[in-house]
Amino acid sequence: MSALYLYPVWLRLWHWLNATLFLTSLATGISMHFSLGWLIPFDVAVPVHNAAGILLTVSWAAFLIGNAFGGNGKHYLVNIRTLPMDLYRQTRYYLYGIFVNEPHPFHVSAQHKLNALQTLSYVGVMYGLMPLLIVSGWAFLFSGELPETLFGFGTIWLVAMAHLLLAWMMLLFLVVHVYIITTGETPTTNLKAMITGWHREKGTSG
Amino acid sequence: MTGNLLLQHRCGAARALSALIVLLWSALPAAVVAVDARDGADAEPGITRGDSPACMRCHWMETMAYRDRETREIVNLSIDRDAYEHSVHHELACGDCHERGYRRYPHRTTTAEEGLTCVGCHEERQGDERYSPPNLAGFDIQFQHSVHALEAKEPGGTPFSCFSCHNPHSFKPLPNDTPVKQVVAANNGLCLDCHTELLTPVPKGHEWLPRPQAHWSAVRCFDCHTPLEGRDLYAPSHELLGAAESNQNCVECHSQGGELLAQLYVHRAEQEREQKGLLAHAVYNDAYIIGMSRSPIIDRIGLAVVVLMVLGIVAHGFGRYLAHKRKREAR
Repeated sequence: MSALYLYPVWLRLWHWLNATLFLTSLATGISMHFSLGWLIPFDVAVPVHNAAGILLTVSWAAFLIGNAFGGNGKHYLVNIRTLPMDLYRQTRYYLYGIFVNEPHPFHVSAQHKLNALQTLSYVGVMYGLMPLLIVSGWAFLFSGELPETLFGFGTIWLVAMAHLLLAWMMLLFLVVHVYIITTGETPTTNLKAMITGWHREKGTSG
Repeated sequence: MTGNLLLQHRCGAARALSALIVLLWSALPAAVVAVDARDGADAEPGITRGDSPACMRCHWMETMAYRDRETREIVNLSIDRDAYEHSVHHELACGDCHERGYRRYPHRTTTAEEGLTCVGCHEERQGDERYSPPNLAGFDIQFQHSVHALEAKEPGGTPFSCFSCHNPHSFKPLPNDTPVKQVVAANNGLCLDCHTELLTPVPKGHEWLPRPQAHWSAVRCFDCHTPLEGRDLYAPSHELLGAAESNQNCVECHSQGGELLAQLYVHRAEQEREQKGLLAHAVYNDAYIIGMSRSPIIDRIGLAVVVLMVLGIVAHGFGRYLAHKRKREAR
């Protein structure tokens, strides 16, 4: 039995707040996009989506600050030298090893709580997709300030398409994220860790 | 001044301008003294300057009207003093526009043919730094191609001019802090004042339009009834189109929408920002139009990828379950 305190209170609070805002944005966005008045009435969905988007911006800024000053940033540093082999091992495990009960190739530690695939996907989402989603969202809100056309296309249309594409990608991330966290030693090991802060494993190789 | 030209006036009242100069009745034979249009323009409002008080001795009366012999319609000659004083023309005295032929009472019919036009007046005063009125020549070109102007030119057509919709005695663009719904209502009121046949649950010619009342409270008539090409985001066209030429394509608004969408969007976003401040604007920004972000290609690809991913996850999870089962049995 091993227990590691991986997630401090601020990080967990941020995570679940971020998750709430993200799900709120997703639900209201889907309702607005597909005109699903039965899901959330349009008049409610629009201001809630806007407010959630603004708060997500704040949340993202908090994530950056937390990484810069809270010591969490080191988990998002990609080790280029070991990355190819780590990625191979992790991918092989998810595609093959996990079905033949191979031991997990990555061991969680206080220094490395994310495996190579997690690191890459989180870096891609939090430093790539998320800022783009935020920028496109704010561009929507202040479309009056935008130039009429950009690269020969209507700017608002470009913004709308970018926001839509990013939203789909974030939904895909959410689906994968929710599933991947079940691949710990037990299906709920990682979930419990993000709730309690403690990463507990019975075996030493989980 | 933005080109929104958000107008407050009613079509019926607007006819008053052409009729104003055909006074058939007057109780006060006061002499009208012509004065220089610019005399004292800075000092006092137009309504109390020059010959204006003499004019207003009659024209302030709400019942100032007559029945036109040809059309048999009541022609309103009343000037709402308060509305005039708040209008864009408040600096002008009556004589600044109505320059001749008002000495006689009742005013002669020929006086009515002085041919006042918005475009002409504004053009004549382009060099006048005191008033610096906006040049309306562009609107006039557009208007000449409008369904109203074209129908008026046909034999037996009803005369149509700026004054058919805009009352110069009360004209005032709505301030930018006016709520969007009021802006839409004021604009559409101009059209619906005359087009009363459309005030039905299923308006004629709009049968194809789902929930017409919801649309009419959210968008301006001219957003669909002006050409899509060459739109100026800040100056809606005066080339009003008839039913056949107007936009009936839902996706012009409810999708990428290009020009039409952009115009609506800018209009609303600007109005709301000025009205509520930066953050409140961001939260209560209701510029989003259902479907504007819709892209069938992105949606289909997105949905397909997510569904495939879910199916993959289900299969993966099932594989894990089998592996877990084997492991347990092996123990």
